[in-house]
Amino acid sequence: MNDTNILAIAAHLHVLLRRKTGRVTDTEWMACNAEYAQEIVRFSRQHAQADHLPELAEWADRLEQAMRQAATTLVVPPLLDSHTGPGGSAVPPPAPPRYVGGIR
Amino acid sequence: MQTRRHKAAASGLMMVLALGLLLIWMPASAQGGAEIVRPTMVGQDTLHGADTVWVMVSTVLVLLMTLPGLALFYAGMVRRKNVLNTLASVLGIASVVSLLWFVVGYSWAFTPGAPWLGGNARMWFAGLDYQISTGMVAVSHMAPHIPESVFAMFQLAFAIITATLVVGALVERMRFSALLLFISLWTVLVYAPIAHWVWEPGGWLARMGALDFAGGAVVHINAGVAGLVCAWFLGPRKGYGREAFEPYNLGWTMVGASLLWVGWFGFNAGSALSAGGRAGLALTVTHIAAASGAVAWMLGEAVVRGRGSLLGLCSGLVAGLVAITPAAGFVTPAAALLIGGVAGLACYWGATGLKRLLRTDDSLDVFGVHGIGGIVGALLTGVLADKSIGGVEGSLWTQSLSVLAIVGYSSVATALLLWLTRLVVVDLRVDAQDELTGLDIALHRERLGS
Repeated sequence: MNDTNILAIAAHLHVLLRRKTGRVTDTEWMACNAEYAQEIVRFSRQHAQADHLPELAEWADRLEQAMRQAATTLVVPPLLDSHTGPGGSAVPPPAPPRYVGGIR
Repeated sequence: MQTRRHKAAASGLMMVLALGLLLIWMPASAQGGAEIVRPTMVGQDTLHGADTVWVMVSTVLVLLMTLPGLALFYAGMVRRKNVLNTLASVLGIASVVSLLWFVVGYSWAFTPGAPWLGGNARMWFAGLDYQISTGMVAVSHMAPHIPESVFAMFQLAFAIITATLVVGALVERMRFSALLLFISLWTVLVYAPIAHWVWEPGGWLARMGALDFAGGAVVHINAGVAGLVCAWFLGPRKGYGREAFEPYNLGWTMVGASLLWVGWFGFNAGSALSAGGRAGLALTVTHIAAASGAVAWMLGEAVVRGRGSLLGLCSGLVAGLVAITPAAGFVTPAAALLIGGVAGLACYWGATGLKRLLRTDDSLDVFGVHGIGGIVGALLTGVLADKSIGGVEGSLWTQSLSVLAIVGYSSVATALLLWLTRLVVVDLRVDAQDELTGLDIALHRERLGS
């Protein structure tokens, strides 16, 4: 699950909450802060149950699942990678970001 | 302020209406002394069977380039949340352009009229007759050995792919209704006139000797420039230049590019309008240029970035195909190797370095690949055209003038039509929230399966 997909789910939940409950949320913060996202999930479920809004519960589940997947796929960089020489000084420079400002 | 805006809007609207009236009036006024404005009927036995079959097959191949070739090519490059909208845009445009071609486009593009626009004789495909009782069939003066219905459908497939090419520049942010309205106007008021200028023997660029065998200028420069203007007019996507816009599935893009490659044989070799030696040579140079473009782009990437990529190979082969399009019936296989190679490198620069210079979110590089590739091909046709193949000499001066005329008209008319569309539809873009949610859900209430 990449950031774009999480942002899409957060944006969808944002719209639903605004329309169904009047609650205004911060979409981008929801997509990157697990604590805030969890609180929104809790709030959504609460209203979904109280106001019989299954769609809201469904999107809350999606956000929770997406955040969980994102957390588990976080890769911790190794202390020494295969390119590092015996002295440990030959660390390659980070690759430029892909798909920013152009697809090619 | 409001009054000034209304005045500006009203004067702009009057300009567009004046242009429209001029376009309608000119062919009608020119028809007074023209001889060939009515359907020309010939005996069925005068038609050439093999040529007819080849052009019918080519029509199918060119349609295959769009449906599903270009649809997959583009849909693979957009973000997951906009895949269905991209596919819907291509399919929707194909349908709308087909109807417009039937109603007015074919007549304005391919019947004799003024040097600027064709006549009204073939509106609603009037005169495309086949009479079984008399054994008579209508033919075009441009291809008197095949039924005109086949010729009109072959050209329809070109009109479709030209219009759908523009989609790549404006994906992920344009309203569907605005897109369909704009493309409808664009097909009738930009594509049809330019096709007439270059391909109809009475067109002013054709009379000057401009060479465009299968549409390097009419299709690719035209669509590339229009795409760039659209991208500039719409503005960048939310987050452009700051966030990574990950393509949904480059595998789809590869399948789409492969379908484009295969279909391009119909595009170029079909443009010979016969199943003879010129078609065979056009097929050969098409393949060589595609391969040369792919290798050149890959080498460019290897030098600049240290590795080749799948998207680079796909883009390079398309660049080679675009550039050989105007030259296909005029050059040797060795010239095709050169044209494809130059185009591969030029378009790599167009989609990267030039794109950064232009600072415009031409999302899928329609100008970088089709615009630049088309210009490279058009100019090199002037240099490399071989009289022993096409029977004509190339002229760099004429080709340059042709490129300038098409770039100028396409850019100005596209901007004007976008402005007109905005007047009618209120806004060309979806709102910010819908853009974040994704156009699949926001515009179509549909979602790609998991």
